[in-house]
Amino acid sequence: MVDVRSNTASQASDLHRVVKANEDIKKVIRISSGVNLVALNAMLTAKRSGERSRGFAVVSSELRVFSRKLEGAMTGLGALIFELVRDAAAMRKQHHERRHLLNIQARGQQMQKLIEPVLARMDERIHKTGGEIGRDWHQLRLQLNRVLQLCETGGSLSRSAKIEAVYGGDMSATLKQVANQIEETVNEIFSTLKLLRTQLAE
Amino acid sequence: MKKLEFIYEDGPHKWAVVARDPEKPNFLIDTNEYLVVNGSEALLADPGGMEVFSAVFSAISAEVDPYTIRHLFASHQDPDVISSLALWLDFNPEIKCYLSCLWSSFIPHFGGTAETFIAIPDEGMGITLGNLALEAIPAHYLHSSGNFNLYDRKAKILFSGDVGAALLPPGEDGLFVENFDRHIRHAQGFHRRWMGSNAAKLNWCERVSRLDIDMLCPQHGAIYRGEDVKRFIDWFAALDVGSGIKE
Repeated sequence: MVDVRSNTASQASDLHRVVKANEDIKKVIRISSGVNLVALNAMLTAKRSGERSRGFAVVSSELRVFSRKLEGAMTGLGALIFELVRDAAAMRKQHHERRHLLNIQARGQQMQKLIEPVLARMDERIHKTGGEIGRDWHQLRLQLNRVLQLCETGGSLSRSAKIEAVYGGDMSATLKQVANQIEETVNEIFSTLKLLRTQLAE
Repeated sequence: MKKLEFIYEDGPHKWAVVARDPEKPNFLIDTNEYLVVNGSEALLADPGGMEVFSAVFSAISAEVDPYTIRHLFASHQDPDVISSLALWLDFNPEIKCYLSCLWSSFIPHFGGTAETFIAIPDEGMGITLGNLALEAIPAHYLHSSGNFNLYDRKAKILFSGDVGAALLPPGEDGLFVENFDRHIRHAQGFHRRWMGSNAAKLNWCERVSRLDIDMLCPQHGAIYRGEDVKRFIDWFAALDVGSGIKE
């Protein structure tokens, strides 16, 4: 069994780590809703450009699909954050209770004997919660990797948009501008998520 | 899980309520937690019990950076109001908690140090949140003997603690009161049993009726808006409280 005391410091900081991760996730969700607007703008621009930008229209449509998938994946991350908050809060509560039990235990041998089984049950609960927190973080990292893989698709789409913009004839400059907008948005999501992955690995 | 919903927004000045937890076990009373935000500073009114901490914390974090919460306001001493104190202080030991001077040596049993608490005198006091002025309005004996409401003159919102509370059955548990006559039946038993003093009640009704209030926000049940605020105050003034013991 893992020593409960040695884990206290890391468990106490779990809630802070969760909040930090959640702020990054919220940032990505905000940018993701921007992707949908950028994609819509791209589709309208492509439509105005007519036949010459058929390829750009296809890319824009795919970008909207990507935006929806990204939103779903980020909602999944949000749900995992909720699980983590629940378990981290439970851990803090259990540590508070444990501290009170230790105070009783310190009041002599008789008390120690009385409180020992209670403390043992408490340590078991803390160990179980610790395991759940570990699994939560693992799940969060896995889901984050899935989102990053999804973002690779976004990256490919932004590159395709740039290529298709070249074939836009008179509208080429406008399409390039939209393609750049797509690239900037996808890159911002990518860099935020990569930073988050680094933080989670620490 | 609980959700945070904004009920007032004027630029950086906002009020939000965290309410209705479908996952909450039935043996726990449902509570509303109110977050007052003014730019980068926030106050959480009646932060709730220890058992709902994670649901409240998650709901707030989904919309607002929880580090902005610098103040807690406890309308009174009940566990469903403030037993989560130790967990909030674990998260941020710098948080200050406003509470009645009557309870300033009782509530530390839930956690905190001498530096945590700001005791509100019986006559009430002003609370500043950045450049926003809030007021702790006395509501003693309604139901607690040291009891405060929180008034935001600018937003015209009164957080009324247990005053206005209702125990709503499933299907009639909307966030806002939509049909006063139907709603108030669920508030009657609560007010007759939990509120003990007709004199204190009339004194409160007289003072509060002079305030400009768009929303009256209780800790349990639904929020009264517009004309329903006056309807509630009139109804409460006429109610015989301290009479709820079943024969």
